[in-house]
Amino acid sequence: MNTLLSLLGTLRWQDVVDVLLNSYILFRFYVLFRGTVVLRVLAGIALLWVFQRLAVGMGLIVTSWAMQGIIAGAALIIIIVFRNELRNVLQAKNLRALLWGFPQQHVATPVEAIIEGVYDLARKRIGALIVLPGRENVHELIQGGVQWDGKVSKEMLLSIFWNGNPVHDGAAVLEGNRVTRVGGILPLSLRDDLPRQYGTRHRAAAGLAEQSDALVIVVSEERGRVVAAKNSRFIPIDDNLSLKRQLTEHLGAARDSSKGRLHESRKLTVAAAVCLLCMAGIWFSFARGMETLVSVEVPLEYLNRDPRMQIMSTSVNSVRLHLSGSNALISSLRPYQVKAKLDLGKAVSGVNTFTLSEENIVLPPGLWLSRIEPPEVRVALDMPINKDLPVQVDWVGTLPSGLLLESVTVTPAKITVAGAQRTLAQISTIYTEKVRLDDLAASGQLTAVLTLNGASVRLVEAGRDRVEVRYTIRRRTP
Amino acid sequence: MNGKLPIIIGCLLLGLLYLPASGQATEDATDPPGPAFRLVRAVMCETIEGYEPRHIAVAFSVAVGRISCYTSFDGVTETTYIEHKWYRRDELVTVKRLTLRPPNWATFSSIQLREADKGPWRVEILDARNRIVRTLRFSVID
Repeated sequence: MNTLLSLLGTLRWQDVVDVLLNSYILFRFYVLFRGTVVLRVLAGIALLWVFQRLAVGMGLIVTSWAMQGIIAGAALIIIIVFRNELRNVLQAKNLRALLWGFPQQHVATPVEAIIEGVYDLARKRIGALIVLPGRENVHELIQGGVQWDGKVSKEMLLSIFWNGNPVHDGAAVLEGNRVTRVGGILPLSLRDDLPRQYGTRHRAAAGLAEQSDALVIVVSEERGRVVAAKNSRFIPIDDNLSLKRQLTEHLGAARDSSKGRLHESRKLTVAAAVCLLCMAGIWFSFARGMETLVSVEVPLEYLNRDPRMQIMSTSVNSVRLHLSGSNALISSLRPYQVKAKLDLGKAVSGVNTFTLSEENIVLPPGLWLSRIEPPEVRVALDMPINKDLPVQVDWVGTLPSGLLLESVTVTPAKITVAGAQRTLAQISTIYTEKVRLDDLAASGQLTAVLTLNGASVRLVEAGRDRVEVRYTIRRRTP
Repeated sequence: MNGKLPIIIGCLLLGLLYLPASGQATEDATDPPGPAFRLVRAVMCETIEGYEPRHIAVAFSVAVGRISCYTSFDGVTETTYIEHKWYRRDELVTVKRLTLRPPNWATFSSIQLREADKGPWRVEILDARNRIVRTLRFSVID
């Protein structure tokens, strides 16, 4: 209990938003896909994922590998197999329907009118095929026909299926309280177990019912019998009550009542609570589960240096950060997500000592800084200046016996160099590269290349890195 | 009146004590004079014989064993001193303090060479006020 309270005490407002936002997304998935096969498949995939984690935990290598493969493939399968359902959801008429609307069943479907119409058709031995779509789009499965927009009534049904009507042979599609399409051709079932008395009309009803969640009502022309096709089964309709039950069950007409609405509200509330609990569980397992410690080496970035000054030296170029967080977050940590920055905006010329703190460290959300090594950084800054330095030849080797190097003149005698003030304060001469005396036998002239004392010192005139050297050699007097 | 006399005498004594101090400050505030001598000659040599430099050069074999910095002056107005600061590259190796006496004076400093002394050298000649009068550059070679 104390652990839970301490966890809740460390929650940031971002964490609360994180959980609520993802809970809502999950809840919207439920609302938009409930009643469809997609949701059941998603639930199946979630179950597979749980098994996969269990398999990993138990060390079942092949099982976990196979389940991982199935889960990866399932995402592709969902997109291909349920493309129609996904499109129906994503092609919502407006943003409201997608983000916060609750799709309502068309409870206004006049069930009584349909029942009366169907039984009048049966009494008069007029064959009929009536399609009542569920949540899935059936229009792609139905071919041909004529767009219709008539209000459903007993008379309308009788006239559509009257023998003299040109569209009487096809199926009529009823959506809400409207007949939206007539004369439609349904896909035929390929089943070979249908009763012999069933004709093409029954086979068409079975075909659509198998491929969608629609309820298809068939009125036999020869015997006047009524049958309803749902999924892959035929339901004989013996009386009005039986038909009413099938219709209300399919159309969700029960929700029309206040009791039904209450039931629906309760169902959505429970779903929302389950979504919230699931997401909170997932968040805690990711963000706070299995506290892990890790140390990472991060390069230290020096920012906002006075452009007039140069960094001469730093005590460190990288720092070691000791981080804590959940195992999942630590495992997914990438080097570029962690940064160590030092603001040199207030640094002055000379050695500056900075104490590193959390303010210097950038971490991804959910990770905490435990320690920084080293806690202090020294940065030496200096101002670049120019300085004229005399040039001296660096002679090496040995003069031939009996000779003396009497005098040397260097042109130019001085060279201007640029560098940090403190560095140049310690330099009073620019030397040439080593010049050998071994081959010199008489006075003469040569060219010598200059060497610089350190990387932080450079010649102001970059091209002038050579000097002329005139030397006088004379014989040693006894 | 008699009571004020000791006070007046005290003030006069304080004033007398103050006068020498203010005179010293004025003298310090003037620009420092130039060197009280003229450098006539400054050379690096292998030996000094008869108060004269021998084997003047700018590169000396370490086998020579000892080298000297010879300096001569005239116009020395008062006894003073100079310094010879010996540097190997930019590292100060030794400082020799030498006395100059009026009116003309020659003096020198020497160092013993070792194998590790090879490389470029310089000797800075400074006056009593620590101002560089001349810099001599030379090398110690094989």
